[in-house]
Amino acid sequence: MNEASLREKLIACFRVVFPRLAESSLPGASVATVVAWDSVAAITLLHVIEEEFQIEIDMEKLAELDSFEKWAAFLSAETQQ
Amino acid sequence: MKLADALQILNEAGISGSEAAYPVLLSCGFSPLHLETFLAAHLQRGLAGRRVKVSTGLYGDLAGTLEQELPGEAQGAAVVVEWPDLDARLGYRSLGGWGPRQETEIVAQVQSALDRLGRAIEAKSRRVPVAVAMPTLPLAPAFHTRDDEAGEAELAIRSGLAQFAARVGALPGVVVASSQRLLELSPPERRFDLRSELLTGHPYSLSHADAVGGALARLLLPAAPKKGLITDLDDTLWRGLVGEIGAEAVAWDLDHHAQLHGLYQQLLAGLAGQGVLLGIASKNDPENVEKVFQRRDVHLSSDQIFPMEVHWKPKSESVSRILATWNVGADSVVFIDDNPMELAEVKAAWPEITCLLFPKNDATATLGLFRTLRNLFGKRQLEEEDGLRLASIRASAELPGESVGEEQQDLFLSRAEAVLSAHFDPPSGDGRVRELVNKTNQFNLNGRRYSEAEWQQSGAREGGFVLLVSYEDKFGPLGKIAVLAGEREDRALRIHTWVMSCRAFSRRIEYGCMDLLFSHFSVDELRFDFAATPKNGPLRACCARFLGAEPEKPFVLRRDVFRERCPSLYFQVDATV
Repeated sequence: MNEASLREKLIACFRVVFPRLAESSLPGASVATVVAWDSVAAITLLHVIEEEFQIEIDMEKLAELDSFEKWAAFLSAETQQ
Repeated sequence: MKLADALQILNEAGISGSEAAYPVLLSCGFSPLHLETFLAAHLQRGLAGRRVKVSTGLYGDLAGTLEQELPGEAQGAAVVVEWPDLDARLGYRSLGGWGPRQETEIVAQVQSALDRLGRAIEAKSRRVPVAVAMPTLPLAPAFHTRDDEAGEAELAIRSGLAQFAARVGALPGVVVASSQRLLELSPPERRFDLRSELLTGHPYSLSHADAVGGALARLLLPAAPKKGLITDLDDTLWRGLVGEIGAEAVAWDLDHHAQLHGLYQQLLAGLAGQGVLLGIASKNDPENVEKVFQRRDVHLSSDQIFPMEVHWKPKSESVSRILATWNVGADSVVFIDDNPMELAEVKAAWPEITCLLFPKNDATATLGLFRTLRNLFGKRQLEEEDGLRLASIRASAELPGESVGEEQQDLFLSRAEAVLSAHFDPPSGDGRVRELVNKTNQFNLNGRRYSEAEWQQSGAREGGFVLLVSYEDKFGPLGKIAVLAGEREDRALRIHTWVMSCRAFSRRIEYGCMDLLFSHFSVDELRFDFAATPKNGPLRACCARFLGAEPEKPFVLRRDVFRERCPSLYFQVDATV
């Protein structure tokens, strides 16, 4: 999967979990900037991403994956393996 | 359904801005997380124009959540029982001990938890419909026996659970999810997610949360059952072409390798017994068909079928006549034939009909058809009226319709020995009232449907009344066929609900209902909360008699106008309060 389609897919995941977030602000989204990004949203996001990317993600990593960009970097590494 | 799809459904419902809410309680002892999302999404799919709001209780306190007061507007409760709700030691988040020393105590604790849960569910079911899912996850390895053996403790626990399920399932407002169906939807090995249970307190895999949420949603919002089934005969109700091999040679038993047809007959007889209308559309000579139904070994009697359209004309024409006789919409009917061309011909003429192939040479597919039919026609509660439906349709077919003129109708009705029974404020548990209100289309004041909780709330208004009308004449009983509900406003009655079964047409029962209200309440006018719907033409036609034209909005009928324009009524009225 190339970088562009990975980001497109990730944006779709973020949009479904954070429907009130404008698409333009998604790339800058993080736990610090999105009020709705609580623990339930974080787990929901993880499971939506697992479903959409068809991968299993170690839940212990959830604390580190606290922004859109970190998710993008993580998935990029995962899908290249 | 994928999690993303469920979230999308809920997001779209949020964007649509619908104000009307459908609040539901999800009661489970674990973190509801994705189960809440899937339950809400499945409910939302079945509720156009209303927004589902799921509230949840406290973690680890299933019974306590159920014992709390529901918000006034709650429409239902979904109860999901899992092992730790019965004893925390049966879960993975406590370390209370596994092994022989705990077994007896666990069994006793489970029984005590079930008793408390049963009381809480019973109390809740008096307010709102309750759907219950019994434990769906594998039991923890807490007992001393091997997996292959159901040990004493496990057997005692499962026996207690089965008795509990039977007890709460027998309560009028409670439905229990079928564990057999859940097994099909969600294989046991894919249900439990220990990783999620330990990290988040949510024990279900996504697919299992979807299966349980969907099952509970279907129990809380069941689809309206179909009303009638039209079947083909040759190679469907029996094996063989009766016109070619004769009435004695068609078969439906094991000896002739035709058992699937016998089972089909047996299923149809069962459906007829629960009030499903059965009709026949067959290209055959009527004499041959009659001979088959005279055989002693047939499992479906010709008395259970009406009408029989047996001739050589197109089946779509037969279906048209059957629909007219039954007076039901095509969307309430299933048509079954072994010939795909006949199915296509009927579907082209009646797109709303559910057309199903009888797969005569495929046992697995035939079993699938049987289960589909059970699902299409299944209903939880059978009413007395279900057993009267066919007889009253036969009787109605003999009645002179409106077209014969009022004079001839007068003559017929004056000799009908009709008794109209009025039951004011019938018991709230009478399922027939809500069935009539929520299923009637043609004679319906405004098409409004009510959930059980909404109906109870509307009846509880000050000055409120519900009138349930039954009818019987010398041709037989029609049973409970009309409901009117509303409230008193000084010297008037406001009517917010008026429905009448189409089986009751052509007997002037609608006028009898109005007469009953004027005389019982001694009011000067009836104020009808009317709204036109695509299907309520018969009610509009009835009202036009008094208004001079069909109503287009809520209207008032004065007593003097009613008396002046009401046709002659010949009922003996029997009123009970």
